Amino acid sequence: MKPAKTIKLALRAMGMNKMRTFLMMLGIIIGITTLTVIVSVGKGASAKVMKTVKNFGTNSVMVFAGGGKVLGPPDEKTNTLTLEDAQAIMQEVHGIRSMDTALLRLGRTVKYEDNNTNTVIYGGTTNYGDAWEWSTESGDYFTEEDMAGMARVAVVGKTVVSELYGNTDPIGTNIKIENVNFRVVGVLAPRGTSPMGMDMDSRIVIPYTTASHRVFNTTYISLIRMAAADPNQVERIEREVATVLRERHHIQSGFPDDFRVRGASSVSKMAKGMAGTLNLFLGLVSLISLVVGGIVVMNIMLISVGERVKEIGLRRAVGAKKTDVRNQFLIESSLITVIGGLIGVLTGIDLAVLLPILSNGKMAAIPSWEPFVLGFVFSALVGVIAGLHPAKKAAELDPVDALKG
Amino acid sequence: MIEIKDIAKTYRKNGGREVKVLQGVSLKIEKGEYVAIMAPSGMGKSTLMNVIGCLDRPTTGEYRLDGVEVEKMDDDSLSEVRNKKIGFVFQSFHLLPRTTALENVQLPLIYSFAERDMAALATAALEEVGLGDRMNHLSSELSGGQQQRVAIARALVNDPSILLADEPTGNLDTAASAEVMEIFNKLHKAGRTIIMVTHSEEIAQQAGRIVRMRDGKIVSDERRAQ
Repeated sequence: MKPAKTIKLALRAMGMNKMRTFLMMLGIIIGITTLTVIVSVGKGASAKVMKTVKNFGTNSVMVFAGGGKVLGPPDEKTNTLTLEDAQAIMQEVHGIRSMDTALLRLGRTVKYEDNNTNTVIYGGTTNYGDAWEWSTESGDYFTEEDMAGMARVAVVGKTVVSELYGNTDPIGTNIKIENVNFRVVGVLAPRGTSPMGMDMDSRIVIPYTTASHRVFNTTYISLIRMAAADPNQVERIEREVATVLRERHHIQSGFPDDFRVRGASSVSKMAKGMAGTLNLFLGLVSLISLVVGGIVVMNIMLISVGERVKEIGLRRAVGAKKTDVRNQFLIESSLITVIGGLIGVLTGIDLAVLLPILSNGKMAAIPSWEPFVLGFVFSALVGVIAGLHPAKKAAELDPVDALKG
Repeated sequence: MIEIKDIAKTYRKNGGREVKVLQGVSLKIEKGEYVAIMAPSGMGKSTLMNVIGCLDRPTTGEYRLDGVEVEKMDDDSLSEVRNKKIGFVFQSFHLLPRTTALENVQLPLIYSFAERDMAALATAALEEVGLGDRMNHLSSELSGGQQQRVAIARALVNDPSILLADEPTGNLDTAASAEVMEIFNKLHKAGRTIIMVTHSEEIAQQAGRIVRMRDGKIVSDERRAQ
């Protein structure tokens, strides 16, 4: 029998018992819907990871003072990292193109005229722009002279600008940091959210010397920011930096670090970890739905074969070969699952579009063509596997017995 | 055209007891004959019918259909023989439910690969049994007699060598029976070979030849002048 005829026949059989057809499709629809969501969320997550890593800097390595598993910068009581550590790293680890050392304080009150806000104060070096690969939007960074003279100059982030100035140009104005007056010399280009979820545009960069002597009165540093000359060397640099610091801090093997090294690879690992848990769960749901859906299809097809024994006998009597009968049931079961799969993909794509909206952008999902291919392959596979046994049973019926019913 | 030689058919029932349904049947039927096979129930006439119709294989013996040794054919070839050379008419019609008369008649055509106008052939067959005006009725909307006529049209649609009818009037009232027998007579006159299994003497009398069976054997074979 011609394939087109068989498909027509199968569509007809499906139409004759719509409720049953729907039940057969249900498991497949759920399975393929979740599969589609997984693929879309996976794509969204990896795009987010890419963006995060890119934002962090693909060739960046950061060292934070203080050990443990905390994300982001340390609190001010952590006094484990020094300028000498930074110098030692620069001397002993090759392939570092640029390094910035910084004294960091979080949540400090800053004032401009009557407005005030809380922000991060970053006491860095003139290498800031190079090490962070971060340019100014207007104005400029402070100079070596400013460093040497402990000048009270500041470069402000975009969030600070919008919270303190509104539409006024901040360059040349005076801003009060911890009650010390600073002159604004530059505005940082917008950077977005850090891998740790912090608003990177909420910061004010001032010379390290000024921060150390005039504002915070400490010689310890909070972090070291390095840019590798070659992004492929990042992991090596991460390892070597850790070795140098453990040595300098006299940490015996078996004892934990009193610093944290973060490179592009550990950042991407961290970001992937969060998406992975969800995907594992959804993957399980999809697998279970497809297996259960397949079992349902097989059972209902078996019932259907049982009900259509006479029809099978008649078809054999008028000339249907065993393969014709087998194909009829196989195509019927695969068509049901493939249509179920298509409904699943379309539902899944809808969910993928809705998900970022419903989660207020916390979950990223990118609809793509891959679910259509995956959905087709998986649903057809389930249909063929589930239909195999019923179809074989139908084909092997003895025509004489089948005609008797 | 049909040549059966010493055919036996043995079934093994549940419990292992062997039942000899056919015990050495030999029969020759020529093209254009109208044969009634008569036997009491359970005396092997349906089995003989199934063997002739290539639905069932004999345990031993030879069967030549149009000179071809049928008992040596594989399952696919038997399906092809059924499709091209045999037209079945059953006691219980065996029409597909929720399907129109026209589509029911087309059924054998979808299993033969030749490119033909299926609707035209099916229409012609339905007109031949006088149902040209009922083509698009569902099988459930037709009377018993009409349903059996659709079944006859289905048996005819592929222009087979033999029409095999198994108690074709068994489920019909007298009027419908007469109608159906009228069609068989007409088809016979038009040159069709018809083999009909029945236990009704009255029906059998309309055939040109009556083969009587008992206990799996042929006990008499009489030709009547027509």
